[in-house]
Amino acid sequence: MIHVASWGVAGSVQDAGRPGRAWLGAGRGGAVDRPSLALANRLVGNDEACAAFETSGGLTITTTKPTMVAVTGGVAHITVESGPPVGWGMPVVLPAGATLRVGRMMHGARIYVSVRGGIINSGDAMHAGPDPHTPAALQPAARHEPSTNVRLWPGPRLDWFDDDALQILTSNPFVVTDTSRVGSRLSGESLRRVRHDELPSEGMVEGSMQVPPDGNPIVMLAGYPATGGYPVIAVVDPADIHLVGQAAVGTELRFRLT
Amino acid sequence: MRLLPCGPGAVLAEFEDLATVMSAATSWREAGLPGVIDVVPAASTVLVVHDGSLNLALLTQPASTSAEAAGKLVVVPVKYDGDDLAEVAAACKMSIAEVIALHSGNEYTCAFCGFIAGFGYLVGLDERLVVPRRATPRTRVPRGSVAMASTFTGVYPVESPGGWSILGHTDLAMWDEHRDPPATLPPGTRVRFQPT
Repeated sequence: MIHVASWGVAGSVQDAGRPGRAWLGAGRGGAVDRPSLALANRLVGNDEACAAFETSGGLTITTTKPTMVAVTGGVAHITVESGPPVGWGMPVVLPAGATLRVGRMMHGARIYVSVRGGIINSGDAMHAGPDPHTPAALQPAARHEPSTNVRLWPGPRLDWFDDDALQILTSNPFVVTDTSRVGSRLSGESLRRVRHDELPSEGMVEGSMQVPPDGNPIVMLAGYPATGGYPVIAVVDPADIHLVGQAAVGTELRFRLT
Repeated sequence: MRLLPCGPGAVLAEFEDLATVMSAATSWREAGLPGVIDVVPAASTVLVVHDGSLNLALLTQPASTSAEAAGKLVVVPVKYDGDDLAEVAAACKMSIAEVIALHSGNEYTCAFCGFIAGFGYLVGLDERLVVPRRATPRTRVPRGSVAMASTFTGVYPVESPGGWSILGHTDLAMWDEHRDPPATLPPGTRVRFQPT
């Protein structure tokens, strides 16, 4: 068993999500930064889509038997009591009774802690799944500071905005002012709408950039609702969504067209 | 029909009315178009999510607008004891018994899901029952509440905030994670409310 002593900030268990359920009103869900989830899983020999802990700092877990773990995503002080030190991007076997603490975020917005076998959430208790019988990584992974340059595609409701809206969006920095699993709110040069009628809710993809009446865009992340009622001006390239997901509050993002 | 860009893995089709949305969503889903991951109807659009390989020429306007009539029928048992029955009856200038008879007398079709996973927007409401959303939404609408607003009726899958008028409640679960599909009333489903 893995005992969660503290979930910390926005702590949860996330896998790679379930696409294909938007027609039932359910967004994809799963990890906000899927490449980091996949890396954390590869390091401990898991399938890339296995469930792992996602946290924005403060997660504290205790093992009840020897457990291989790996930490990826952003950077925080990781401390271990009654066990060997755990660095970023390396598989480490914690003995029974070890406590791993993810401290405050220093870089990035989200950290992933994988467990060999994946995490099976049976209500209150967390268990490691069966051993995958595949080798864990022999070497630590290298960490690259995530880029803040994000590629965009024109969105379905671009014509609801001033002619120069896309120009404004791709030639000025936008600062992250808030981030949750649902989305990241940005602030920058205001994106002015030319249409002010109400848009009936419509299906959205992950990475959709909605613009509420205040002109400050919101980029939808993995926990987004399947439909939304603000016009989508642009769509973040699927390969860059994790960059938005790892941009902490205060980070300046720069957008460019694909 | 107008096709609007939505990045490399989706396209948004916009239609004139909900009937066309429903028939396009049904026919595109049933066609099993190569590369398609999801077909998401809404009030006036259908979002087609794909793996990047979809040939957009295959997204043609459906010939018929009555395809939705063929969906599976689900009977939802309802205890008509909702907090807003009297208010709805007064607004519609009829008795509570007439409200119940009209609401349970029609067959509905799920046009689209949204708001919450498993929340189906059902069309087919008798026009004498059309009332606007409540002026002040409730912060908590109980799970299983059978409610209506404007031309739609539906069932709240979980407790949530909500602005629809509550007519009653059902014990039928609207979402089961272990079922495929997990929603009880996916788009295209025909629905009847059975008073209990």
